[in-house]
Amino acid sequence: MVTAATAPTPTAMDARRLGQIERRDTLAARNSCLAPGEDIAVRIRRWDEATRQAAYQDFKVPYQKWMRVLDVLNWIAENEATDLAYRWFCGSKMCGTCAVRINGREVLACWEAAEPVMTIEPLRNLPVIRDLVVDRAPYEKKIASFEPWIERREPYPSFPEPLNHKQMKDASKALDCISCMCCYSTCPVIGLGNLTDFAGPAPLVQLAQTALDPRNDPDKIKRSLALTGIFHCVSCYKCEEVCPASIPIVGRIIEPLKAKAVLLNPGMAKHSSALRDIVAARGWVEPSALVLRVQGLRVLARMPRAIRLLVRGKINPLKTLFGIRTAAAEAARRILRTGVAK
Amino acid sequence: MKMITTDVAIVGGGAAGCYAALNLHRNGVQSLIVCKGLVGKSGASLFAGNLVLSGHLLGNTDDNARNTAEFLIKYHNQFLIDQNWARRCGQWIENIYYPELEEAGLYFRRDDAGQVVTSPGKIRSVAANVQGNSGVPFMDLRRKQVIKAGIPRFEETVATALLRKLDGTVGGVFCLDIMTGETIVVAARAVILATGYSDRLHTRSTGTREMSADGIALAWRVGATLINLEMQWWHTNDIAHPPSWQRMQVYPNPMLGSEKSARMINAAGEEFFNQQQDDPLAFGPYTVQLKALAKQVRAGKARYDGGYYAGFDHCDPAEVDAYTTYGKAYRQLGLHFPEQLVETAVTSHYRQGGIDVDTETMRSSVPGLYVAGGLAGHSNGLIALATYDGKVVAEGVMRDLSTLAAAPLVGQDVELESSRLDELRNSSGEGPAPIKVKERVRALMWNKVGVEKSEAGMRSALDEIEQIRVDLLPGMRMANRGKLANYEWLDAIDVVNMIDTCELIIHSSLERKESRGPFFRQDYPLTDNENWLVANVLKKSGNGVRFERRKYDLPFFRPDFVTKDNLEVVW
Repeated sequence: MVTAATAPTPTAMDARRLGQIERRDTLAARNSCLAPGEDIAVRIRRWDEATRQAAYQDFKVPYQKWMRVLDVLNWIAENEATDLAYRWFCGSKMCGTCAVRINGREVLACWEAAEPVMTIEPLRNLPVIRDLVVDRAPYEKKIASFEPWIERREPYPSFPEPLNHKQMKDASKALDCISCMCCYSTCPVIGLGNLTDFAGPAPLVQLAQTALDPRNDPDKIKRSLALTGIFHCVSCYKCEEVCPASIPIVGRIIEPLKAKAVLLNPGMAKHSSALRDIVAARGWVEPSALVLRVQGLRVLARMPRAIRLLVRGKINPLKTLFGIRTAAAEAARRILRTGVAK
Repeated sequence: MKMITTDVAIVGGGAAGCYAALNLHRNGVQSLIVCKGLVGKSGASLFAGNLVLSGHLLGNTDDNARNTAEFLIKYHNQFLIDQNWARRCGQWIENIYYPELEEAGLYFRRDDAGQVVTSPGKIRSVAANVQGNSGVPFMDLRRKQVIKAGIPRFEETVATALLRKLDGTVGGVFCLDIMTGETIVVAARAVILATGYSDRLHTRSTGTREMSADGIALAWRVGATLINLEMQWWHTNDIAHPPSWQRMQVYPNPMLGSEKSARMINAAGEEFFNQQQDDPLAFGPYTVQLKALAKQVRAGKARYDGGYYAGFDHCDPAEVDAYTTYGKAYRQLGLHFPEQLVETAVTSHYRQGGIDVDTETMRSSVPGLYVAGGLAGHSNGLIALATYDGKVVAEGVMRDLSTLAAAPLVGQDVELESSRLDELRNSSGEGPAPIKVKERVRALMWNKVGVEKSEAGMRSALDEIEQIRVDLLPGMRMANRGKLANYEWLDAIDVVNMIDTCELIIHSSLERKESRGPFFRQDYPLTDNENWLVANVLKKSGNGVRFERRKYDLPFFRPDFVTKDNLEVVW
């Protein structure tokens, strides 16, 4: 068994895991922090039929070698709470149906090592049917509305058709998705409910399987992208952090989809394009200019608010009209053009 | 109770069921899918690691083509297969299957130059996106094709009984929606069973959670003939710990783009299986591996439930990671990959036998009832073969549809099934919970009807099953009598099917008095081609069972000996 002290040093790729390694929270450590027979303290959020409310129930579970969260649930269902409702099919990271939250973190139960103290709860952002079982129907409805299949402009030639992995590299990452909903549960924008029309990370990954496939008709991709509200993504990387399939959801899925949306549906990207233009023109973000560009004449309806902001010194019309930093604007244009600072 | 009428009711949402539905749809025949799990997300189809190239696909030579056929007939089925069906199937895979999948968008893994990546060797294969995970995008595509076609899906819905029309033919399915507890009666002109062949009947089984031999039990109750139920396949190197990973395999097949593959080491640290040297066809070493392990077990250097190891410590990690997912389990356990090996154990895998069918139409012996995929007894294994069955069964049903009228179901059967389910939900005995009875059945199958079988062990297993049936089933205790997502209720329904099927499997195993491929009888160690190169046919008679033997045609391949110690037979 590898100990935390000899664990490999992080490379540039997993720099975001640096904190975990410093805390000795490595996979090796997680798999060896308990000895067989030691008690795991488990608290499960359940649906109480009598009070018709959610309630937490405590269990003590004996640790078995390399125990997964799913093994803990199976042990409880066999020995302590035979009526515990939780969903799973394959137990080997393929079906993607056993996702839950442990200690506030989304995990695939069959994949994640059991921890000494665990609170297990159902995923967020989906209705709960009972105990840990969520209703996947709202997600399925979203996916179906995208019509996630290929429509070809040219007739299919013959097997094997001309295609290489460079063309498929982003779609191929998306094909690793097992629609476990971990990212959907952790996404803060989805957590806002109906305030935005953002489709959420999992539906976008599912869409990317065909939308980032060069064989698909761009008109079809354009129609699907129009339904995604993709520019509401705040690039917080929570989805990437929890993805059990290690899909780079922001970098390899959402960013390429946004780039496609800018080309195919420029109207969708009004806010992002305006921001970019303002930075290029001025060398800094001028919020008032952004509001004017995005909202246009609609700002007139909000004059009282604008006046309040002006009185309190929150906006400065002179700066909005004339505040251009020439040197900074030049640097910004260079960065936007080349992608590098120098 | 919800009542639904359709032309064809399909039970099962894997490779065979989905493809049957899509083919019926293409021909304007209405169907619906009843799936105990989620269409394309449960059952064995998901586990397809890679996809075999048949015929002359992608530069296959005459030798490759012949090897693939030989592999299917000898190593996969030990000659207990309809070779004419195998030939038709191989031609269809070569001409239709791959182009159709690719046209629909399935991504066969390419390299950066655009070549489809294959495994080298005597039999070649490709992968959908990644080797080890091909079933996931494959079945996801099927799921989306079913959605696109607008075929109704009843998911997380268990079929609990086949229903008959007044003329005695099968014309419906009784179902229970597990999430809502609502019962559904589907009336149909024909029923297709496609519930697969990887049932969880042993303590260690590769079958997914919901697999409890429902297809066999339901068909048997309406009088369907079964064959070769004793022919059980085993995975030899599935991960030993934890229990939930029992179906996670250290895949022994050749890797894409490499000459190497996993090797196995006994408790003494000696290599006892290396696919490149020990598997004559270098493709499907499942039975070959099992025989190699049996020799280690007899020498005291391994156990069937662990004490031996598998891994890639002779490989460059970049070679393994290039096109496969094989490193994932090692890394998730915090092991150094590929230097460290993982302890492995045997797991009950596919059942070669099943429901007897006419392979031209997939008709069962019961009018109105059709079977496709692994549940049928005509062949074992591979997602392509199950898919082909989906095509054949759709054609078979369409051929017969003019003679299969929509007709009222026997009302009494519907009422009886409805009250049987209610009684199970309200079961208030002082006995064990249904999940405990399930685990007890699995344990007795593992201990007494495992890899190595004997008459004494199997007789004792039959006694134990009878005891469970009489003493435990009527007194099961339910903690929850609600209807929402009541898995305890589902366990109670499952365990009845498991017990009935296990009993039939044991009777069939007692009947076959030889050893053949993965079927080991300690009291009959020889493979006996004189008496047992036959289908072991199981028929319902009165209130008992009757066996018959049916010879196979051997038009292309035949064994080259009469009798031989099974452990010395290469296949």
